[in-house]
Amino acid sequence: MAHIMRIIRGEMWYVLFLIPGLGLFTLAVLVPLVTGARYSFTNWDGVSKSLHYIGWGNYVRAFADNDLWGALVNTFKYALIITFLVNVISLMLALLLDSYLKFKKTFRTIFFLPGVISIVLSGFIWKYNYAIGFPSLFSLFGIDISSPLGDPNYALFGLIIVAVWQGVGAPMIIYIAGLQGLPSELVESAKMDGANTRQSFFHITLPLIAPAITINMLLVLTGSLKVFDLVYVTTFGGPAFATEVITTFIFRNSFNNFQAGYGTALSMIFFLILVLVTLIQISIFRRREVEL
Amino acid sequence: MNKTQIATFSIVSAAALVFLFPFYVAVLMAFKSPKQTFDSFYALPSSISFVNFSQAWNASKYPAAITNSFIITTISVLFIVLVSALAGYSIARRNKPFYNFVFIVFLAGLMVPFQITMLPLYKMGKELDLLNSYWGIALIYGGFGVQIGVLFYVGFIKGISREIEEAARIDGCSTPGIFFRIVIPLLKPVTATVLVLNALYIWNDFLLPLLYLQDKNFRTIPLQQYFFFGQYSSDLNLAFAYAVMGMIPIIAFFLLMQKSIIKGIAAGAIKG
Repeated sequence: MAHIMRIIRGEMWYVLFLIPGLGLFTLAVLVPLVTGARYSFTNWDGVSKSLHYIGWGNYVRAFADNDLWGALVNTFKYALIITFLVNVISLMLALLLDSYLKFKKTFRTIFFLPGVISIVLSGFIWKYNYAIGFPSLFSLFGIDISSPLGDPNYALFGLIIVAVWQGVGAPMIIYIAGLQGLPSELVESAKMDGANTRQSFFHITLPLIAPAITINMLLVLTGSLKVFDLVYVTTFGGPAFATEVITTFIFRNSFNNFQAGYGTALSMIFFLILVLVTLIQISIFRRREVEL
Repeated sequence: MNKTQIATFSIVSAAALVFLFPFYVAVLMAFKSPKQTFDSFYALPSSISFVNFSQAWNASKYPAAITNSFIITTISVLFIVLVSALAGYSIARRNKPFYNFVFIVFLAGLMVPFQITMLPLYKMGKELDLLNSYWGIALIYGGFGVQIGVLFYVGFIKGISREIEEAARIDGCSTPGIFFRIVIPLLKPVTATVLVLNALYIWNDFLLPLLYLQDKNFRTIPLQQYFFFGQYSSDLNLAFAYAVMGMIPIIAFFLLMQKSIIKGIAAGAIKG
């Protein structure tokens, strides 16, 4: 008995230490997640007190909903292009900044700077740069352009540029950290063996910074699949649904159309997609990594 | 400098100019009058005038919004640091299935998109009286932040030798005593990281304040800006002055804390 008491006393503090964190987590994530999952089986409108269970009705409806598929296509188009562009640009910047360069730190600060302002701000700045800034700049050269955000064919690309501008800072830092961890002997000895810059980049640098590539791909892809603020403050899905992404589609259904049950069913589907994407990505990239 | 170095320098400088261009336009707009803007968009103003700034200051609730942002960010970040350090310590020091399970639950929570929890959170906030209060939104941020916070603290604490703690235990020090007197002072570097990364995120967050702070008096900076831009979309110079005013605190914070922010991002990636 005394023995058990001692174990309890020894363990008690550690368990108590977990409680505040677990409590807040339960309040902010766990309870809402379970409630949300429950709502997804109802026809709740988000306001009224009564709700009826309708089984898998919302999910069946989602699969037949063309607007959902449209939003998913937009979301993936947006996220894949951004993941590609952000990683290429931030890796290039990291390589340039990792070499001998004057004012290295100032440049790093400049490339990171767009990432620290809120998306409300960057969305606003770009909206008017697109609407008046760029057209008046290009008109100096006699070229007539209008804001891409007003054109269904280009609106999504207009948003992608903003997201890339804001998004390269953090991946760049991660790439720089990865490059600084490279053993310089390897690159040196490859050079002595007659490898040119391109060969040593593709055969030595790239495989060795694979962990940084994995984490950046994962962070940027899942981050941009979840895009909401940027679309909400600039186009809100328009024009003509050209920039409607899954999160704004969910928001519209949940709050504007009073279909909270359907909205949460959509977000459960989105959750599954995110988990699936993450698992696929990890399994693809982890296999390619080289252990140092 | 040799040729490659000059080429590198020019490429990086050109890229830097492209990155700074939108900021340049924002500042330019903020200092010019509508007429000057109409006459020539890119010309520098003939004289520096702060009219737009003083007008924006009076028309908006800038001081109130800054205060709200500051209070909410501070309380939330303190919550996050305290509860993450406590939980992280338990998980790092008790390498047992139960603690590891709790750790995985925290990490799995990171994958839950906000859109699922948004509606239930709003409804819960209404029922528990968490809406339109500093504490309410800070509790929710605490619950969000603890997930990644625990990851940072577990990684860091596992790297600290247990010898001092064991010596203190033999001298009769209790677990809370060890934690508060010995461990906490050692956690300064990781605490700085958790602090700055969360402060950046909470200061700039938009959607949770949009749901939780619907009372005008509680609006944070991004929220106040959103409504201000909507209201003054015809007076762009005024709106841009307000945008520049809103940028100043967070850019100052970034420049001051740059070292911790950059170290934190690099460290976080390695652990992930």
